Amino acid sequence: MPLELSADAVGGSPGRSPFAPGRHRLSLLLVASTLALIFVGGLVTSTGSGLSVPDWPLSYGMVMPPMVGGVFYEHGHRMVASFVGFLTLVLAIWTARSETRAGVRRLAWLALAAVIAQGVLGGLTVLFLLPTPISVTHACLAQAFFCITIALAYQTSREWLSSAGTRDDVVGVRGAAVAATAAAFGQLVLGALMRHIGAGLAVPDFPRMYGRWIPPAEVLEQVPVAVHVAHRAGAVIVLAFVLRLALRATRDGHVRLARPAQLALALVFVQIALGALTVITGKAVLPTTAHVATGAAILGLCWFSTLRTRRHLHAAMSAPAVAGLGDPAVS
Amino acid sequence: MFMRKTLAVVAFTAPLAFVACGGEKQEAPAAAPATTQAAAPGAGAGGAAAKGSASIGGKISFAGTAPAPEKIKVSADPYCQKEHKDGLERKVVDVKDGGLKDVFVYVKSGVTGTYPPPTDPVELDQSGCMYKPHIVALQVGQPLKIKNNDETLHNIHPRPAVNQEFNVGQARKGMEVTKVFDKKEVMIPVGCDVHPWMRSFISVLDHPFFAVTDEDGKYEIKGLPAGEYEVEAVHEKLKSQMGKITVKDGEKATLDLSYKG
Repeated sequence: MPLELSADAVGGSPGRSPFAPGRHRLSLLLVASTLALIFVGGLVTSTGSGLSVPDWPLSYGMVMPPMVGGVFYEHGHRMVASFVGFLTLVLAIWTARSETRAGVRRLAWLALAAVIAQGVLGGLTVLFLLPTPISVTHACLAQAFFCITIALAYQTSREWLSSAGTRDDVVGVRGAAVAATAAAFGQLVLGALMRHIGAGLAVPDFPRMYGRWIPPAEVLEQVPVAVHVAHRAGAVIVLAFVLRLALRATRDGHVRLARPAQLALALVFVQIALGALTVITGKAVLPTTAHVATGAAILGLCWFSTLRTRRHLHAAMSAPAVAGLGDPAVS
Repeated sequence: MFMRKTLAVVAFTAPLAFVACGGEKQEAPAAAPATTQAAAPGAGAGGAAAKGSASIGGKISFAGTAPAPEKIKVSADPYCQKEHKDGLERKVVDVKDGGLKDVFVYVKSGVTGTYPPPTDPVELDQSGCMYKPHIVALQVGQPLKIKNNDETLHNIHPRPAVNQEFNVGQARKGMEVTKVFDKKEVMIPVGCDVHPWMRSFISVLDHPFFAVTDEDGKYEIKGLPAGEYEVEAVHEKLKSQMGKITVKDGEKATLDLSYKG
């Protein structure tokens, strides 16, 4: 799980903290900027520009180097990252000063700590010439940070503040959302590993693998091939878990639970198509980068579903009788 | 309180950045950059401890149809585009009258004794958004001077298998950096991540008996002691060809090798 919310942050009685529209809008901007940053980060790897700026924190000893060639992508990534870092700093200070819920304040500080750690990891990955463990951690922390920003945005929303769960989770949406989130995050870790060990084309054909549905054992013994095959298998697992979430959320009948799950399912199909295009085009920049960003969006939607189901539904005991009782505030 | 926390974090991370950035020996830009000369084939032969009088020469040829030149887009950098107004083409397999250019030819086995490295540096120039020369050869411990003669920035990033990898930026024209390789390694790929079309190869040997073929595919390795040697020719795309030859003092032996397309 990318983030375990405290009971204080998740639960909270309705109306305990007043709705702060400005801070909520800032948190939404942070979510959007972080997704954009993940796309731009993907561009850096897709264009092979990760080491086009060899120094850090400055770029060629300058704050603003000429934006030519690979520098455009690498320094552009640093600029967007600085913007996200600045937004996170402002949001953390604002939250610390005006938020009454301790859990949300802690979450905002956690976001700031994560973005600083992410910046340092980004610097280390440049200075140590893209070592796989650091590069993969940098990629995974980006996704975890994205989840933190989503949690911050949702917990400062009017919906979170005005409505709490009144229904039992009869069809098991809560568990399905958690499982889908975990599967999506695991798949992103595998994807990051595949990307940073250069295994994106270790299996050159699609949908078959070396002409077979299960590649030959002697080929599977090679680590890049094994990681690539695991990522493809992971796609099937994510599809299964997100489909389960979408079906359960739809069966629950609550439009706010069903929509993000259905959108996540649609994006999984888009994602599989992008993955296929990445292989077929020999890692063309656009499909490869869009594959990274869509993966983040799927994780974000699953994570958002997790938060929403936990907000709107109680863990089911055995009370199908109350399943039909909707929350008037959120219907 | 909040500001104190933030400052504490910055104070913690800033030294990390400076520590990690240290250790690079970069010379300031020269007022007037020196004229660059490509390292001549066999340029490192001067420091031989057991100097001989034999030599091996010949022609590396290519039979077949060479791949079409690769067209390269340089529009990502306006300076490079200005330098190549008519576009840039790269001949990875560069053939003239059957002779193959830019093949690294060296004595792979048979050399005995030690050969201290020359103190004169071999130069690798970045000019017109290209590396000059394309194939660089030097001895273990011999300085490699890397210069930027372009009015744009470059990074120099060799990806060796056994030597220490490095990545150095040169932001301005006239900047120079000197590096030394401490292990022998043949055809280390060198690239500029800013301009992905820039490619060069560095070969590092523990003796001075090597050469790079000229545009006619010819090479000559001088100063060899008499003996029996195994010679390897390595091309960046066509890989390697091997040959064996025996040379006597004062003689020039001929060893021609051929690739097929």
